[in-house]
Amino acid sequence: MEKFEPVIVAFCCHYCAYTAADMAGSQRLDYPPNVKIIRVPCSGKVDAIHILKAFERGADGVYVAGCLEGDCHFKNGNLKAEKQVQYLKKSLDEIGIGGDRLEMVFMSAGMGELFARKAKEMTEKIRQLGPSPVHTQLEQQAKQKAS
Amino acid sequence: MSNQLDDKPDNRVLVVGGGMGGIRTMLDLAESGHGVVLIDSARSIGGLMTQLDRTFPTNNCDLCTLSPHLSQSGRQARIELLTMTQITGLEGERGAFSVTVKTAPRYIDMEKCTACGECYKHFPDCVRFTPGLDHRAPTCMRYPQAIPQAFSIDMAACKDVQALVDICPAKAIVPNDTEKIRTIECGSIVLAPGAKVFDPKGLDYLGYSSQPDIVTSLEYERILSASGPTSGQLVRPSDGKQPKKIAWIQCVGSRGIQKGAQSYCSSACCMFALKEAMVTKERFQDSIEATIFYMDMRTFGKDYELYLQQAKERFGVRLVRCRPHSVIHKQGAEGLEIQYLPEGQSQQVYEEFDMVVLSTGFLVGDQTREMANILGIDLDSHGFAKTGSFTPVATSKPGIYVAGLFESPKDIPETMVQGSAAACMAAGDLTGKGSLSNQDEDFPPERDVSGEEPRVGVFLCDCGENIGGVLDVEKLADYAQTIPGVVVAKGVGHGCSSQSMESIASIVESQKLNRVVIGGCSPRTHEKRFQDTIRKAGLNRYLLEMANIRDQITWVHAAEPELAAKKAQSLIRMAVGAVKMARPLADSTLPMNKSVLVVGGGVAGMTAALELSGHGHKVYLAERSAKLGGNANNLRKTLEGEDVRAFVNGLVEKVKAAENITVITSAIIVDHSGIPGMFRTGMQVGPQMFYRQVEHGVTVLATGALANRPGQYLLGKSNAVITQLEMDSLIEDNPEKVKSWLNVVMIQCVGSRTPENPNCSRICCQAAVKNALRIVGLNPDARVFVLYRDMRTFGLSEDYYQEARQKGVIFVRYTQEAPPKVEQGQDGCVKVVFNEPVIGADIEVEADCLCLSTGLVADDENNEDLAMIFKLPRTKDGFFLEDHVKLRPVDLPIPGFFVAGTAHSPKNIRDSITQAQAAASRARTMLAVNEISTNSAVAKVDGQKCAACLICVRACPFSVPFINAEGYSQIDPARCRGCGVCAAACPAKAIQLMQFEDDRILAKLESLFERMVA
Repeated sequence: MEKFEPVIVAFCCHYCAYTAADMAGSQRLDYPPNVKIIRVPCSGKVDAIHILKAFERGADGVYVAGCLEGDCHFKNGNLKAEKQVQYLKKSLDEIGIGGDRLEMVFMSAGMGELFARKAKEMTEKIRQLGPSPVHTQLEQQAKQKAS
Repeated sequence: MSNQLDDKPDNRVLVVGGGMGGIRTMLDLAESGHGVVLIDSARSIGGLMTQLDRTFPTNNCDLCTLSPHLSQSGRQARIELLTMTQITGLEGERGAFSVTVKTAPRYIDMEKCTACGECYKHFPDCVRFTPGLDHRAPTCMRYPQAIPQAFSIDMAACKDVQALVDICPAKAIVPNDTEKIRTIECGSIVLAPGAKVFDPKGLDYLGYSSQPDIVTSLEYERILSASGPTSGQLVRPSDGKQPKKIAWIQCVGSRGIQKGAQSYCSSACCMFALKEAMVTKERFQDSIEATIFYMDMRTFGKDYELYLQQAKERFGVRLVRCRPHSVIHKQGAEGLEIQYLPEGQSQQVYEEFDMVVLSTGFLVGDQTREMANILGIDLDSHGFAKTGSFTPVATSKPGIYVAGLFESPKDIPETMVQGSAAACMAAGDLTGKGSLSNQDEDFPPERDVSGEEPRVGVFLCDCGENIGGVLDVEKLADYAQTIPGVVVAKGVGHGCSSQSMESIASIVESQKLNRVVIGGCSPRTHEKRFQDTIRKAGLNRYLLEMANIRDQITWVHAAEPELAAKKAQSLIRMAVGAVKMARPLADSTLPMNKSVLVVGGGVAGMTAALELSGHGHKVYLAERSAKLGGNANNLRKTLEGEDVRAFVNGLVEKVKAAENITVITSAIIVDHSGIPGMFRTGMQVGPQMFYRQVEHGVTVLATGALANRPGQYLLGKSNAVITQLEMDSLIEDNPEKVKSWLNVVMIQCVGSRTPENPNCSRICCQAAVKNALRIVGLNPDARVFVLYRDMRTFGLSEDYYQEARQKGVIFVRYTQEAPPKVEQGQDGCVKVVFNEPVIGADIEVEADCLCLSTGLVADDENNEDLAMIFKLPRTKDGFFLEDHVKLRPVDLPIPGFFVAGTAHSPKNIRDSITQAQAAASRARTMLAVNEISTNSAVAKVDGQKCAACLICVRACPFSVPFINAEGYSQIDPARCRGCGVCAAACPAKAIQLMQFEDDRILAKLESLFERMVA
């Protein structure tokens, strides 16, 4: 069987996590290409609809990356994001996607290494969890359509 | 291109040299509202850096970051560029100079030349020779983004002038062009002529002139460079094969006693050898071996020590401490043999390498000496411009300043700092007033694209090897072409080069594009540039998306090119999907507050305050302690012997006397709000902690660092153990005691370069040499031992290290694994035991005094508070992190914040002053404008949908939304910071954050998953 390559969406705040991702680039730190970054001004901007839409369309994992506690450029957007994520994890459990597929991470702009590590950890974790149930269903639908 | 200046002579500065330093000076001055004439003897500006492949410590191509500024500068009305031009005479004095310059004929009309290259194609011999390894030598455009974008002709080599003239489609060739003499009137002059690179031909034991596979570091850069003679292929010049084993030899022409070599240290070579070795290892991994032969590894800059660790541990660069005896090519052998004696061994080693790179240093060129002679400024014995410790960029002649390598050997960040510092000082001599409007450039009217079907153009950068080395850009363009809505998709090489930007703009116009996607580097660094590009083509600047295929794909997924290509397709698809949703936005402006808050009243803070107040700005100088002066209050003498105390006292007097400086001592910063140009900072002042708030447009952080005092080697337990700082005072205050000492031991790197504090404190080697020299000066019979790991007396301070050795100071190396042992001795002495590697034995010294070089550490507690209040990032070891370590070393990542002195990293008083002047200059570029543009990425409320539920009012971190008279939520765009928290919280989705609207984010997701579902 082909190795399962999960698709993971990372919502990264402009000031810390996105900068950390760029930093990982300038330090040439490898991480899995499975992670696709969507830039937002603040992790607090990430809406439940964005996260749920990602899962609905077939994401195997999603994480929101914000600044370290106390470092948020907008005071506490990162903590608001965390609350949101914790809340959604429960909902994901309830609807059968699994709250484990959603995470909140914190990092500062200088932590390129942490960004790469988190990307690796998340990819490994989702790889172990296997494809999202939504994803498998979507594929089945597609197959049925094709046949 | 060469606009005639509209500024008057009394508001004009002449800048000599168009390298990094000169360009920084020029841009700072122009942005602050002054006129600049920049002359360079070369055919295009850019200096040495344009020949580098990549630069440390980010290992990216800084040219790509710099060149957009350059192409912008080419259009600035207050800048005039004169290439192929030299100074021939000077009259007048500070404030009113009259400089005669001579411009050599280019035989090309620069107004007409489009740099099409036809002349070069047909008459390659008629264009001038470019030194180095450039096989395309004839081209006079030294690098793809060359400014000015024009060729030049060598008429002497041309046999058929008429044919050459006819070949030019632009009719730009002027066969009868002549040398031109011109007089430039200006108020001050900045010299940034750069330096020559040492030519190792004369050192026959290195075999450079006879062996093609022995190259200089600059030639090696050209081999690595995508725009170089081998298009970035690493091959041996002799046989075109890829080398397997490369050696770097350090200090070639520097720290030398050989014929023609310089005695000083060239400062930058350790770092660039490490960089070249790392870039090489990164490209070829285990198939290549990189070895550096060095004397002392001088990685003394900010976080450079971490770079060294990375080279050793992550990239496996092999470091061998020794100066090789010779490099020879044995008959019949394929490689080159290096003969060397490793440290601590008695047997010569013979080792074969495929290629040898000589790390050649810098020296002042004859042309520069000649210019100094014409201008009448003093040079030191090496030919560098003489300056003072407290006037670091001022030459001996009032009104003439110096920046970059002509001041002393240094790397790019320090050159950039000096460039800004020189701009600050040169502007101080101008009596005329400059003015600035926000709209420097004339943009065409914006095209209304509403109602149009999306017509997207996708432009993909290869960024040299940075992207092109991993991704097939043409293939990616073919793919992009298939995405619905895409009209044009093509590779644009270096997208940020002025040529590519112009080509993008013209395609936008000709194809009537209404949306643009750039696939290239990070929007963090380049979004503004590309916004300008499409704005110039008549599009609203917000109809743009950038896909970060470099920093977030090719730099991190190089090992998996197929997956990288897939991810690149996804990112481009997402960007196209999102840009179709982009809406045009209007920028608005607010008045600029021209006051300045300087935090920290040490030497750096006071210097910045004085410079800015001198330019008419109101300055609030907030100092945490009750007294001005900072760490310098504890310093007595500089390495050069100048009196620090007198200087600091003078500075305090000046600050107190300055009318528009308000000194606030015993002030603790407690809150901060506002936007760049309109800040408000609150502090608690005095013993009663009265609250006080100041309003200011910019902030200079000069909060200093702490003298480290680790409890090692009996410090604090024995009276015989002191720090270098205490020694500095003791020598002044109690010379009799110092005279009585027979044995003095100094230990370097105490509390620095350790696992707990991995960085080098930069100042301690000079401090040790300074104090050792003063001790033997008082008592020539005293035995002074300096136990060191690497002596880092970089630049011109190497001379003092040599002097100390000549005067009998004994320098003994120790390793981190086997540090010296210290215990209580007899009669108040301490017993120090250390290993002497040359004789391979332990030595025991009864020291009358043990002096520890403890360096500086970040003021962690204070910096943490300030970082929280101002939302500024810090380095791992607690210093403030600048916006770009190479190109913006005094700008902090939050606009409107600048850093100076030891709050940035450990540095001596001279460097602190330079940085403070630089911070003042950078601040002036912001303070020069009368209006600030406010953020367009603000939240907007749809009153129809709003239920006035108050969730946004509670969610906003800055209390901006309120329920207006009409009964719905209102958000003041001037106060909105654009975080989008309200938009995420709004249950009715009545709030949208511009540029990050829900449909735009959802479009990204839809596009990402399009493939998989279909």
